Amino acid sequence: MEARLQQDEVWETLLARANDGDGAAFARFLHLVTPTLRAVIRRRGDGLPPDQHEDVLQEVLLAIHLKRQTWRRESPVRPWLYALARYKVVDAFRRRGRAVSLPIEDFADVLPEEHVTPPLSDRDAEVMLGLIDSRSAILVRAVALDGKTAEEAGAAVGLTAGAARVALHRAMRRLSGVAERMMK
Amino acid sequence: MSDRSSTEALIRQLAAAPAPVAFRPAVALSATVVLVGFVLVLFLQVFGLRADLVGAWAALPAQAKTLLPLALSVLAGWLALRMSRPEGQGALWPLAIPAGLALAMVLQRLTVAEGPLLVELVGQTAMACLVSISVLSALPLAAGVILLRRGATTRPRVTGALLGLAVASAMTAGYALHCPEDSPLFFVTWYGLGILIVTGIGAALGHRFLRW
Repeated sequence: MEARLQQDEVWETLLARANDGDGAAFARFLHLVTPTLRAVIRRRGDGLPPDQHEDVLQEVLLAIHLKRQTWRRESPVRPWLYALARYKVVDAFRRRGRAVSLPIEDFADVLPEEHVTPPLSDRDAEVMLGLIDSRSAILVRAVALDGKTAEEAGAAVGLTAGAARVALHRAMRRLSGVAERMMK
Repeated sequence: MSDRSSTEALIRQLAAAPAPVAFRPAVALSATVVLVGFVLVLFLQVFGLRADLVGAWAALPAQAKTLLPLALSVLAGWLALRMSRPEGQGALWPLAIPAGLALAMVLQRLTVAEGPLLVELVGQTAMACLVSISVLSALPLAAGVILLRRGATTRPRVTGALLGLAVASAMTAGYALHCPEDSPLFFVTWYGLGILIVTGIGAALGHRFLRW
């Protein structure tokens, strides 16, 4: 508790100096709050590919810069920072969420087929495939590891080519989430 | 698809950028109030106070139709300013007090029902009232929205609506000094409608221009 209070004081001093035009203080402030922001984004970030979390973080950092004068120096910095970050994070996820939730079938023809093998050993790949549902695992194994086309892989589990590509795309996204967690 | 090194670069860039313009709610507030006052004085100069103002002021309805909107304006303006910072939150229920008092006046008028209520409701100047309240509010509302853009509300639509409510209520309070109709049936209906229209416009403007 005491450490946190001290930390808040450091943040407040830095931001006050930053608003007076001290660039180094502002850089230090942004560095200090970044881990907290990363945690907030990760907590709210289900449903968004982790590779976009850094983009969201950068949007929040930019917003902190643009709106830093709305912080009143006599008031605690944490509620201000959290409210600002929550607004930007929700906003960023909503905008991306809308893009992601478009019916993906519309893009089935333009999405590249994902032949790329994840940069992991076969053993890791098998472990990861064990973590997703079996039909998706069959599809991914056929396409990414055995080099078949989405049509062939889909026919084997009774899906049309378009549906197979969609299922595959979703499976790959889930796998990249799994990979992210495994690498931490 | 950014990585951590580009975040480092961004931080360096932001630190090198000049600090943005300060947000001063007091300045935003006084500028809007001055503009509201200016527009009202101009209106009353051109169209005049009601001829019987001094005599009518003794009656409760004539006082209420200026004082209730004034109270609403002060409350809404204060709430809009509070919400112009990210951490600023405010309860909206106090707004129900002036609104409730206005409705009570309508009910009270209805209980002593005598005379043609419909004629009273429709009145003589309903259109003039609606048009005046909306037109008078346009400029100060636009200015208020521009000034609040420097703030950082996390509820853009609500903040815009509160701003519209504050401006329209202030205009109504002034317009009431010109308007000769004193039946609560008339002024609660038409003033209320005028205020609601501007509040709705404020909400739309807030949604469009107060997001960041």
